[in-house]
Amino acid sequence: MSRRKILTAILCMMPALAAAEMHVVILEGRGGEDRYTEQFAAQVASIEIAASALTTKDRIHVFRNGDYSRQSVIDFFVSLEEQMLAGDRLAFYLIGHGSYDEHEYKFNIVGADLTDTDLAEMLAGLPASHQLIVNTSSSSGAIVDSLRRDDRTLILATRSGVERHATRFGSYFSAALSSDSADLDKNRIVTAEEAFRFAERQVADYFERNGQLATEHPRIDGGQAPRFGLARLGGQAPAQSDAELRRLVASRDDLNSEIEELRLRRESMTANAYQAELLDKMLRLATVEDRIEQREREIVE
Amino acid sequence: MTFGVRTFSILGLLMTWPAIARDIHYGAVNDPQLLHCDRMYWGGKLAEAGNCYRDLLSGDAVAAIRAEAAWALGDLQLANRLFKEAAGENPDDATVRVRWGDLFADSHQDGEAMNIYREALTIDPDNAFATLSAARVLVGAFDEAANTYLEPLLSDSTRDAGARAAAWLVVARVSLENSRFSEGADALDKAQELLEQNDWPLLELYALRAAADLLDNVTESDYTAMSLDANPHFGGIYATPAHFYVITRRYRDAIDLYQKAVDVDPKLAAAHEELGVNLLRDNQMSRARKHLELAYQEDPFSPKAVNTLRLLDSFEDFRLINDPETPQPGVLPITFRLHRDEAAIIAPYALELVRESIAEFTGRYGFELKEPVVVEMYPDHEDFAVRTAGMPGIGILGATFGYVVAMDSPSGRPPEQFQWGTTLWHEMAHVFTLEATDHLVPRWFSEGVSVFEEWRSGPNPGVRIPMAVYNAMKDDRFLPIAELDEGFIRPTYEEQVIVSYMQAGLVCQFIDETYGTEKLRGLLKSFKEGLQTGDAIEAVLDMSPAAFDREFEQFVGKDHGSFIDKLPEWHQTQQSISELVSDAGWPDIVGHAELLVDMLPQYIEVDSPYLSLARAKEEMNLRDEAVAALMAFWKQGGYEPVALKRLGGWLHESGRINDAIAVFQSINMVDPLDQELHGVLGELLLDQERADEALREFTIALELNPHDKATAHFRLAKAHHALGNEVETQSQLLMALDVAPNYRPAQRLLLELMGADAGN
Repeated sequence: MSRRKILTAILCMMPALAAAEMHVVILEGRGGEDRYTEQFAAQVASIEIAASALTTKDRIHVFRNGDYSRQSVIDFFVSLEEQMLAGDRLAFYLIGHGSYDEHEYKFNIVGADLTDTDLAEMLAGLPASHQLIVNTSSSSGAIVDSLRRDDRTLILATRSGVERHATRFGSYFSAALSSDSADLDKNRIVTAEEAFRFAERQVADYFERNGQLATEHPRIDGGQAPRFGLARLGGQAPAQSDAELRRLVASRDDLNSEIEELRLRRESMTANAYQAELLDKMLRLATVEDRIEQREREIVE
Repeated sequence: MTFGVRTFSILGLLMTWPAIARDIHYGAVNDPQLLHCDRMYWGGKLAEAGNCYRDLLSGDAVAAIRAEAAWALGDLQLANRLFKEAAGENPDDATVRVRWGDLFADSHQDGEAMNIYREALTIDPDNAFATLSAARVLVGAFDEAANTYLEPLLSDSTRDAGARAAAWLVVARVSLENSRFSEGADALDKAQELLEQNDWPLLELYALRAAADLLDNVTESDYTAMSLDANPHFGGIYATPAHFYVITRRYRDAIDLYQKAVDVDPKLAAAHEELGVNLLRDNQMSRARKHLELAYQEDPFSPKAVNTLRLLDSFEDFRLINDPETPQPGVLPITFRLHRDEAAIIAPYALELVRESIAEFTGRYGFELKEPVVVEMYPDHEDFAVRTAGMPGIGILGATFGYVVAMDSPSGRPPEQFQWGTTLWHEMAHVFTLEATDHLVPRWFSEGVSVFEEWRSGPNPGVRIPMAVYNAMKDDRFLPIAELDEGFIRPTYEEQVIVSYMQAGLVCQFIDETYGTEKLRGLLKSFKEGLQTGDAIEAVLDMSPAAFDREFEQFVGKDHGSFIDKLPEWHQTQQSISELVSDAGWPDIVGHAELLVDMLPQYIEVDSPYLSLARAKEEMNLRDEAVAALMAFWKQGGYEPVALKRLGGWLHESGRINDAIAVFQSINMVDPLDQELHGVLGELLLDQERADEALREFTIALELNPHDKATAHFRLAKAHHALGNEVETQSQLLMALDVAPNYRPAQRLLLELMGADAGN
């Protein structure tokens, strides 16, 4: 692959935030015990806050506390099919308990549970080109085979259906959506990939530090996570209607591209040469960022 | 040689096994031809004995006797096959089974040996040697059931004299190990009478008599010469007394004797093994490996040798850190052996603690260390156990062999179970009490000083006494001072060891507070002069041990008596709190917890009422009162890291930055592997313009392989910047920006550092 093609590929990996509409659906399952009910509610609240910085309120749909029927969810997805366009994106969260009986996965709600077959059928008809499914429930790994699709990314709290203990993953994943530590590249956007890696590490650390055998092993399936922004740290992005601001942002993007290209050349360079060139580009990038901030302040004033 | 290679070489070794000795059997087998060979061997005529055994093995003797010959010649596999054959041919012969069991015991398979002894006793319930052999195995496992087997042999004069003599030797050994010297001497006299009457060799008797002399400070025993005269190759005459040096922690003296043992009997595997283990305790690694490998060659079935060699192989995963890196006049060298994955994290704190402890104890006890201190920490507790005892499965946290300290590393146990900083402090106190007395300090005093120093001067001070010890006080289970060592060495109930630790700590606290620290120093001096506990108490405190016990009881009663009277109420209230938690009865919990705090304000174990009180206050949205409860917990020496982390966070939020820093720093003495904590603590230190301390915290945070590397590098850059290290600042900034080019705080610092700004 030529360097230019690589660069193009990298640019395509920048998190998609504004190009298409984003729909967020959150199912909060039944807690069963107060502590789980409280945990699930807190996780849902965190996800809602994060989503509100990325899309409009009418595109965030929350089913709370497991207090809804299986059919109501199915009906909702039928209606969602009509609202979505081909280029839209869907972030679908299942926050709660799950179960698996060696044949079928169930997400626990009031009355009849939602099965993996239900989930597959609900999602199959959606026109969204990018679908992200985050299932933090126990046994969530069981849905991989039913839901795997090329345009879909699955983030699951467990690697299979047999990991049946209540999970910690959901707490960490939702915390990632407001965490500077999860934002590894410090671009103020937490992608699905970053949130997953943050939560995965936290889960592993938890079990290791407590000297316990891990009862959950989070997994990710699908390739869109690095490009799927889930949270913007610091709230809504400023509008870029100002021509000067647009020029500066374009300049920043160009510099970012140059830095990515420099990283690709790193192996062929001496350490000193790499450091010198990196320093030069970082200084230029920092200067542009300063100007962007300054311009944003001027616009607000 | 790695262990893998060693394992695969076992089969090769078996084919050419050199002759090894089997123990003196005192008539367990009575074949005249075999006894003829045995007596040559017991008399030190090794070549003649070897020929005799070979003739017996190749001759037409019955399988059981040929098995004995094969065993004597070191071919344990052949011996096993022959015993199996003999047992098959003679299903009603208990003696064959006893000796077959002895072979298993000799090859460290005690469980299988016991099974065979039980079979023998089923065939012949009165078989004296089956009883004796079973007792020996049980004694080795510290199993009190041994008495059940020994007692009939000792009390029934109609039983076989050889077995009875051997039983008295077992009693003598155990008595000497327990410092019951007169009982030991009586047992030896009885054994000697029986041995001489029946013309059995006196070698093992001489060895125990030499050990008894040694315990009586007679290091040049006449029995040594008598033994060597009877058999110049009997290594036990040195190895047995050496064992008594080991159990009294005089490792270097033990090394000298074990060396003599292998000098007279180069094939004495057990002596090579103990020599190797004790050389490790003296940090003589190469020499230790040599003897452990010799032990393994002679006895590849020994788990102790195998475990220890495997541990030595694992040392390639450890880093040696020397402070100072090169010797400096006037600076005592300290060496750390730490696992490479955590060396950079632990070493800074551990070094500070060791230096502080040396300064503290040198001043207090008037003794200057004379050799470098070596501190080893093991992330795998079983490695530490092997390092300490050659075998896994011991429950202690640390061990001191003199100038060498070994302990669990902070990652070896969950943080809520293990204050590693306090453990290191405890062990460093042992270095002083051992070395100041030439290792003659009794166990109780060494442990007592260490526990007392934990409470008084440790990194997390406070008198911490577990509830089990208060229960023991209530049941009047404290031992007289003259017998306190027994509580450590041969505990008679489940929690006696921890009770003994705490009693010893209280004794030292009592002496220090009542008579002054100079009396603790005086006791050290007395122990160095060879005085036993009772005499030392008389000499230094000018009172009898009985009078001391009375005064100590009054001291404990004054400090703890009123609480002990309330123990039933304490337990009842704790139970009520547990029930109320599940019902979220927070106001009631407050009342109960405050009652418990009033009863015993210094109680800060995992079920401390402070923790219940703080939880209840938090649930009731009374943050300030929750903070006050946890502050009181912390100031009493509470160390539960989750609670302290919450306290530190609350203090930070309320602007009590210095308090927050102090609390967070104390968590490092319990849980230094918390990467997030180092970052937060470093930020607070940096805000307080304590950049050098912040740099340490940030450096350790990065060593812990943080998920967010950009922030870790940026924090280091800030600390270096505050310290004026501009080159390092730039380097760390570039590492941060290399990971995260759009990291605004790092960009801003880079612009500031380079003198650039948006207008340039």
